[in-house]
Amino acid sequence: MKLTYMIAASLTVAATTASAQDFPERPINLIAPFNAGGGTDLLLRGLAPHFAEAIGSDVFVSNMAGGSGTVAASALQGQRADGYQLAYMSVTVSTIQPQIKNVPYGLDSWTPICSIAASPTLLFVTNDSPFQSMEDVVAAVKEEPGKYVFGSSGPGAITHLTMVAAFAGLEIIDDMKHLPFQGSGPAIKELTAGNIQFFGDTEILMNRGDFRPLMVFSDERLENFPDVPTATEVGIEAPLNELYLWGGLFAPAGLDPEVTATLESACEAAVASDGFGAFAANSGTVIKYRGAEEFDAFYRAQYESNAALIEAAGL
Amino acid sequence: MLSSLPEAIGILLSLEGLLVLVLGTVLGIVLGAMPGIGSTVAVAIVLPFTLTMSQAPAILLLLAVYAGSVYGGSIAAILINTPGTPQSAATCLDGYPMAQRGEAGLALGWATVASVIGGLVSAVVLIFAAPQLAAFALEFGPIETFALILLGMTCIVSVSTGSVVKGLMAGMIGIFLSTVGGDPILGEMRFTFGNWQLFAGFNLLAVVIGVFALSEVFMRASAPLSRVSELVAFSGIVLPSRAMWKGRLRNLSKSVVIGNLIGVLPGTGAATAAFISYAEGRRSSPNGAGFGKGEPDGIVSSEAANNAVTGGALVPTMALGIPGDAITAVMLATLTLHGITPGPKLVDDNPTLIAAIFAGFFVINLLLLPLGMLLSRVAAPILRVREAFMMTAIVILCAVGIYFVRGNPFDLLVMGGAGVVGFLLRRQGFPMAPLVIGMVLGPTLELTLRQGLILTDGNFLAFFTGHPIALVLAIAALLALGLPVLRALLRRNAA
Amino acid sequence: MHRIANERVIVQLALLIAAAALYASTYGQSFSASDLAQSPMFFPRIILMLWMGLNVISLAQAVTEGGGGGPIASWTRIGAVIVAALIYTNVIGSEGFFIPSVLFALISLPAFGIRNPILVVLFAVAVPGALVLLFNHSLGMPLPTSRFTYLF
Repeated sequence: MKLTYMIAASLTVAATTASAQDFPERPINLIAPFNAGGGTDLLLRGLAPHFAEAIGSDVFVSNMAGGSGTVAASALQGQRADGYQLAYMSVTVSTIQPQIKNVPYGLDSWTPICSIAASPTLLFVTNDSPFQSMEDVVAAVKEEPGKYVFGSSGPGAITHLTMVAAFAGLEIIDDMKHLPFQGSGPAIKELTAGNIQFFGDTEILMNRGDFRPLMVFSDERLENFPDVPTATEVGIEAPLNELYLWGGLFAPAGLDPEVTATLESACEAAVASDGFGAFAANSGTVIKYRGAEEFDAFYRAQYESNAALIEAAGL
Repeated sequence: MLSSLPEAIGILLSLEGLLVLVLGTVLGIVLGAMPGIGSTVAVAIVLPFTLTMSQAPAILLLLAVYAGSVYGGSIAAILINTPGTPQSAATCLDGYPMAQRGEAGLALGWATVASVIGGLVSAVVLIFAAPQLAAFALEFGPIETFALILLGMTCIVSVSTGSVVKGLMAGMIGIFLSTVGGDPILGEMRFTFGNWQLFAGFNLLAVVIGVFALSEVFMRASAPLSRVSELVAFSGIVLPSRAMWKGRLRNLSKSVVIGNLIGVLPGTGAATAAFISYAEGRRSSPNGAGFGKGEPDGIVSSEAANNAVTGGALVPTMALGIPGDAITAVMLATLTLHGITPGPKLVDDNPTLIAAIFAGFFVINLLLLPLGMLLSRVAAPILRVREAFMMTAIVILCAVGIYFVRGNPFDLLVMGGAGVVGFLLRRQGFPMAPLVIGMVLGPTLELTLRQGLILTDGNFLAFFTGHPIALVLAIAALLALGLPVLRALLRRNAA
Repeated sequence: MHRIANERVIVQLALLIAAAALYASTYGQSFSASDLAQSPMFFPRIILMLWMGLNVISLAQAVTEGGGGGPIASWTRIGAVIVAALIYTNVIGSEGFFIPSVLFALISLPAFGIRNPILVVLFAVAVPGALVLLFNHSLGMPLPTSRFTYLF
């Protein structure tokens, strides 16, 4: 027993005294806070080989699902910041959930490494819907308050906030009903079946059905939908006018700046690689790279502006 | 799509196609048969490999592993009373008593034949009637689903071996466990008492493995040590003879239909189908009285239905782009990764791929029979190890399996707690299957009830006045609860 | 003999107390929903009430009737297995998979009657070792590792 203890102690000492220049000297774990086979998980699995090549060490993806991603984030928050464990966190996990749930992490719990993807959300209806523009929607809702229903993939999800941003921004939310589902799939089914009239998600999800966008929460119109107005054009004011489903890699707070820099440059190389580019094109991922410093500023700004949305959603 | 069938069969008969189908099915059966390791882990293991494969083989590998592991799960359920998935919990009810009687081989034979037939029929239905079934799925809104789940809940009475009061109570405990964590409508936290680990609730599989597999280990630890070296007498699958099928075909076909229809509805799943089919079998089969004591019809009901679900679940996935369960969600994500957008146009845009998937599903079910028989012969010696080794291995394997379900060590703790509670309750004659039904159906029951109340502005009666399907299902639920009671009363009066 | 203080009554009572405590706790929290049906506690309260009702019937049956709870062959054995399993499932997260698995097998195998120390040690090291080799080092989906090394 004593022997193993001594070996263990020496190993621990060796691990802590190793300088940041030797990083990485063992495999790096990318944590997907959702189930294996989900969108986030597959994105990480697409990134992992290129990340491994760039950093010169093994990289594996593990899953820790539950609580809309908060379980993984809460667990990682308590870990030592050694750079061997990074989580891919989305806008909801990092900026929305900590403001609506009593989770053990918050604004200052992280060292942002890099952002990888970002897609604006759209508000859409079925192709045979009578609504051609948001003006039609506002007029119809005012005509028959309490009749129209919007869906979401769950309370506090990006789909919910999209709906809240739209209808609170147009000041008709009190005359509408919210029907939450467990995930986007069932919500899309009820949109097709007609039990809900409005839903909001990213472009790739909208393409899963016969749907038609009415507006986009982006700073400019989308390439594929040049006729669809932005929320700002429809008359929705900041901070409700732009909404992106973004995500990036985070390490626990207090990571050695040298290690951060190593991870950041590996992330940049991986995101810029041809292999990941092809993967993104295939899977409809919109790449949006930001370096550690820029991402940190962006993340903090988002944390603040999403507070307004949460307030409007009554969460 | 039918015109692309020849080309699709060409893909299946290529070397890669065949290899993927056979290896995937074998791997699925082997992993599924290990206590504690279920479909989730099996799929997680092969997922990284599918990323480097081309479209059709990638999806076929996932399907083969999934179908194989569901079938493998019933092997563990029958032989050692440790279902790896909720859907094989219904198989335990009659499979394990048969195994204890020394008919383990025959019990597995029934399970195999029923699974294969359920799967084959659902594959044929899938190839010929997917668009029509998809339209049927759209008829099921929240209110119809609520009525269906209500009907499913009445199964608790049928699977309550022993005391009905205790069965219902176990059902309530199961439903309660499912309400822990985030509220589905408002997102507020319930019964978490400030513990963030509970924000995600109790994991279903951790509880199922705890109350079945782990508590089984404790039950055996509390009984006198077995002196014989064999756990169960088993030397391979014994197929039921034609004479044994007499009077059982109606039950089989009914179970296949139930499995197909429920599989088509997104968000209900294989466990629901298995239990509803089991309850219906118990009610209508001529052998109904023997259910729960080792009646082959019980195995047939649950196995035929839960395998037919696999095919059924592919309907909304492929025809509407809406995943029917967790595993079809993985398939959709894999398709997306290969540049294919799931949705209503999927079948029209990729007829060959879809035909290959559907035909591949047919072939996988054909493979289950020979591969199952072969593997059971190989595995039979493993069951001859001493109880001590088997029980220790079960605990260790369950830990591995539950860890990989969500990657969360907290789920292991839940499994341990569920094992002890399950052990104490089982000693008092509480059946565990109702607890599983409650936990499986509870979340959907609450969600659809409250969604319905939102849609009808809080008018519960409007659930049934404006929704004929819901009305029919609710009446069926009332009859399922009321008829046995009524019949018992009449009998007492007559006597 | 012990009409009240026996295992079946105690288990039933414990369940009833748990349900009542949980039911009471639903009134301690405040929720934002004004509508009764949309209160997060609406559904759980119904379920808990049904649980308590059934529990009372079941408790009455337990007091009046016998049955339930077969004899325990050896308290040492069942005690050792339960305690070992509970500790085992608790510490995997922090101490890794391999070491706790070995220790668990070292307790569980003798408890189930294996007396040959060589067999016990062989099994206790080989089974978890094989799993660690498989998952951590060939499949790239690692089980939890100990605080000493990332290898197991």
